[in-house]
Amino acid sequence: MASRALAQCVRSLARASARLNEGRTACVLLAAAQRPLSSWTCNQRTSRTELLRIPSPSVHLCRHYSDAPPLTLDDIQERVLYVLKLYDKINPDVLKSTSHFMKDLGLDSLDQVEIIMAMEDEFGFEIPDGDGEKLMTPEEIVTYIADKKDVYE
Amino acid sequence: MTNPLRGEVIRLYKNLLYLGREYPKGTAYFRERLKTAFMKNKDVTDPEKIQKLIDRGDFVIKELEALYYLRKYRAMKKRYYEPEH
Repeated sequence: MASRALAQCVRSLARASARLNEGRTACVLLAAAQRPLSSWTCNQRTSRTELLRIPSPSVHLCRHYSDAPPLTLDDIQERVLYVLKLYDKINPDVLKSTSHFMKDLGLDSLDQVEIIMAMEDEFGFEIPDGDGEKLMTPEEIVTYIADKKDVYE
Repeated sequence: MTNPLRGEVIRLYKNLLYLGREYPKGTAYFRERLKTAFMKNKDVTDPEKIQKLIDRGDFVIKELEALYYLRKYRAMKKRYYEPEH
């Protein structure tokens, strides 16, 4: 009984190691295939026939790299205005893209600090204090974020 | 207009606002009290007084940190030890 279980374990381990070896050889061949054509002719160890032996099911990519959707100026502006409308001291009806926080919306410097912190939370990066003090309109915030995120469209 | 201590005051306000997000009585309560405290002293122009108020703000930051550490300690103790009778 125990010997049978041990035999099964050994067989499964052997299969797993075989799969690992197959994966490694496939990766090596893929790496070889990715080299430029000039190195194909110069390299005598690997020939074309060996490269053609790669089975098609193993060529598929096994890694998927996730990323945020690309930003555009319209997206940034929409998100900025949305965050500003959620702010309890701002009247959403009066808010425009060119409204000045102090002169048009009646906020003070502390409220502006809170707005900058809200923008940091929304876009996920930190705005230095020196830069944060100069952003006085939603338009300037959009421009600043676009510069930080390398957005030009 | 431009006071050399203005940046420090803004930085202090920012740090306190950030720390207040986990205040037990809620973020809105903490923010209102913080705003009121800063507005109460908005007419102070003496640099020495401003520095004293900044030091007091730093003290409050230390107190808040201690409060959070104590809360965390109590939570961990409650999870890993039997309640005392």
